Amino acid sequence: MSRLPVLKGTLDLLVLRALSWTPMHGFEIVSWLERAGGGALDLEDSALYQAVYRLEERGLLEAEWGVTENNRRARYYKLTAAGRAFLRAETKNWMQYAETVTAILTAGKDARPAAAS
Amino acid sequence: MIRDGVRRAFRLALRRRDRWEHEVEEEIKLHLALRAEQAVARGATPDEAHQAAVKKFGPLVESRARLLEAARNREARMQRTEYLSDLRQDLTFAVRMLARDKGWTAVTVATLALGIAAATAVFSAVSNLLLHPIDYPGANRVVVVFQQPTKGNNTGVDVEILPGTQVIREWKAGAPSFESLEALASGQAELRTRGEPATLNVTYIEPTFPRFAGVRTMLGRMFTSAEVDAREHPAVLGEGIWRTRFGADTSIIGKAITLDDSTYTVVGVLPANLRTPRVGASPTDVWLPLDLRVDQMGATVVGRLKPGRDLAGAARELDSAYARSTSTGEVPFRAVVTTPATRVSVRDSLTMLGYAVGLLLLVACANVAHLFLARSTSRQRELAIRVALGAARGRVFRQLLTESLLLAVTGGALGVLGGWVGLKAIVGLRPSALTELELAHLDATTLAVALAVTLATSVVFGLVGAVQSARTSTHDALKSGGSRSATTGRGRGRRLLVVTEMALSAMLVVGATMLVRSVINLQRANLGFEPRGLYALTLTASKAHFANADARGQLLSTLAARLTTMPNVRSVALASTQPTWFAFRIGRLEIEGEPVPPGPATGFISDNVVGSGYFKTLGIRLVQGTAFTDTTLEGTQVIVNERFARKQWRGVSPLGKRLRIAVDGTESWLTVVGVAADAATGGATLSESTQPFLYFPAADSDAKAIMLRVDGATDLAQPIRTLVRSLDGQVTPKLESVEVQMSQAISAPRFVMLLLAVFTALALVLAAVGLYGVMAYSVAQRTREIGIRVALGATRTRIARGVVAGGVTLALVGSAVGITVALWGTKFIEHQLYGVAQRDVVSFVTTVVVLLASGVVACVVPARRALAVDPMTAIRAD
Repeated sequence: MSRLPVLKGTLDLLVLRALSWTPMHGFEIVSWLERAGGGALDLEDSALYQAVYRLEERGLLEAEWGVTENNRRARYYKLTAAGRAFLRAETKNWMQYAETVTAILTAGKDARPAAAS
Repeated sequence: MIRDGVRRAFRLALRRRDRWEHEVEEEIKLHLALRAEQAVARGATPDEAHQAAVKKFGPLVESRARLLEAARNREARMQRTEYLSDLRQDLTFAVRMLARDKGWTAVTVATLALGIAAATAVFSAVSNLLLHPIDYPGANRVVVVFQQPTKGNNTGVDVEILPGTQVIREWKAGAPSFESLEALASGQAELRTRGEPATLNVTYIEPTFPRFAGVRTMLGRMFTSAEVDAREHPAVLGEGIWRTRFGADTSIIGKAITLDDSTYTVVGVLPANLRTPRVGASPTDVWLPLDLRVDQMGATVVGRLKPGRDLAGAARELDSAYARSTSTGEVPFRAVVTTPATRVSVRDSLTMLGYAVGLLLLVACANVAHLFLARSTSRQRELAIRVALGAARGRVFRQLLTESLLLAVTGGALGVLGGWVGLKAIVGLRPSALTELELAHLDATTLAVALAVTLATSVVFGLVGAVQSARTSTHDALKSGGSRSATTGRGRGRRLLVVTEMALSAMLVVGATMLVRSVINLQRANLGFEPRGLYALTLTASKAHFANADARGQLLSTLAARLTTMPNVRSVALASTQPTWFAFRIGRLEIEGEPVPPGPATGFISDNVVGSGYFKTLGIRLVQGTAFTDTTLEGTQVIVNERFARKQWRGVSPLGKRLRIAVDGTESWLTVVGVAADAATGGATLSESTQPFLYFPAADSDAKAIMLRVDGATDLAQPIRTLVRSLDGQVTPKLESVEVQMSQAISAPRFVMLLLAVFTALALVLAAVGLYGVMAYSVAQRTREIGIRVALGATRTRIARGVVAGGVTLALVGSAVGITVALWGTKFIEHQLYGVAQRDVVSFVTTVVVLLASGVVACVVPARRALAVDPMTAIRAD
């Protein structure tokens, strides 16, 4: 399986999803994405930090300095209420979009409109 | 959220930028380390692991730059959000706190708004009149030039002489200080084109005048100096007459109009905003050329000085230019160069109004100050509790600042609005004598000063509470009695403020009462004659028609005889001037048996040449002697007014004394046959109309007007017109009500008085509010003490009396201070007073009474509150 470039805009969604479980620092987010995506995502690590800063700027995340299991200082990110709402809404949109695109791409020649939904 | 914000706010102080840059670096470092560890765990060597980590991270330099950029955006945005959210929070809280104290908030906002509005509106009007009554370009270099007798005037009359064209020619030739000098002359002419003949205001100007005044013709062109030199007759219409009389007809250019007996060609129309330098003059209907080559008297001169030249130097230049042309090398009349603003009538009361603006603003600020002080004291416990509950002092400080600013901004906005409305009202109510007010606009400087002063007061005194809360320990403030010791000092401060306010108000009340009484005197009997039912009849005709002075006099004399037989006409008299004209003789006043005063014969003395029955017709009382019994004795009798008698003979009866106005010394002596009561018949303004005055008996040829005393409200205009036309068809009669003229003559002082009265009332209200605040506050502070005293048997009357006495004492002390200052200050408005002494007892007594009354009123509510104190509750409270 070849590596998949991350579509513009979806990275934000993925980061929010990662943080929906628990606050994480940057490397934990990367690791979680790698694990959850089965290593299939093609992503530079720095891009992730850019996404995080952007989300923080938009008030979807907030950050706090904390300590890792190995006693290292790290910046922990967690979802804000706005971030959670955004994640919920955007996930729904994305799912609908993906389903629709999938349905279209897999539909037969004589597909009726009803078949798509 | 807030705690985060507070933390950030604190880190902010430690150079925010360094901090987040450092954080980004730290984050990258940690990431690379963790990534490398992961690789090592999978069996890579540390070197390989590090390289792999860097590779996975992306190009290090560019990535770092991008991250720093992203972090910077993030920080900037968050800072903004934080600031806005704090601000919103502060504002919400401020609004809630202010809403809880509705009464206090309303009074404070109203005080601020009133102070700013009144100060701005009135000062804008006053500064317009005092500083820029005429808005020619380079207004601060524009000057008015006239002359005064070089050796002064021994008759006690102030005169300004309008220079003649000969003098102006010399001035123009030899005055390098001036960028330009313009001469204007004014007059009246009868328009005999299109419809009924009408009397127009004519101003004779040089072709350069519109450019000097910064105005261009709105239609056609200005006449040229070539036309003036060629003695052509070009005319430029004023916008007003062009619109009314000529229906804004654009084809008027090139047409001929007839003024008196001459025909003029209209070459242009000048807009209504072109004004002559005479403050208060009525608008010009027609502009005609002034030919300086023709010798004539009495031109108004206005000039623009070169930058940096001073008035006195310019005057000296003019004098030496003039002196070169006289045979003696001396000037009988010296030039006076002055600013247009000094020529505004009622200048002194306007100046006083200007000071009143300052006083009112001070009163308003004092009020705001102790409103804030009172509030901060009552809030001390609240603030202490908030600090005790963990609010940072900086935050409390900021909170109080927000409250003050919110109040100041609200008050300021209302104040600006009120100022604008107020100025519109003032301009709308302006009397014709102050017509220049129409140019008044909201003065930006005044507005800025008023806003700044009130803002500063609110902020400073609003924060006193914060400072106080920072100084007193939380523990002390929370103890119920703890505030008592801290407030004594400021209680004294507040009382001092109230005394100051009362003193300022007292000064205003003294001044206002004096001016009000002056105006009342002016309107009433103290005029010295009875304007009601009195009319002045004058005749206008072409110059040629009355070329012979006797012609007019003869006609007037015939007319007077016929008028006496008219129904409702009670009496009729001939005179050379009517009450609002300023007429004088020039010469040297000599009293028989007294040394002849030195100097040239250039003294001025106001006079009127009157026919028999003049005193009876005007209702002027003769204090001594008789009226002229026989006007055929022209040249041997004279009647003086009381002021003249007082000045020359100081209590000795003047009857039988002889005097003369000498020019060459051959004049015959005149015997004083009577002393007339002072009457305001000597001119259009107060100062002119109360000068020393001489009456001479009239021969018919001297008459220029007929004075009529009429019964009831009969309209004589039409019958008189018919009568005049039947005697001489080429003459137009002009009948003017002296009552109307007099009310116009005093319209300016009356207007200023009105403003001042409104102003004083405002100041008084503000001062009373201040006093109320202090008394109410002191009652609130002493609730417990009052409770104890009641419990110990003090009667309630005694308690109430104590409160009122406290307030009244403050009012009394304040008025004592104010009156002391006013005793000295009233000399500045002495010229404006009429029939009121500078130490007018009535005004001073009124002031004390008014201040006492306002003191008592301000104490009513606090006293009732003190009465309502329930001893049990008061003692148990806290």
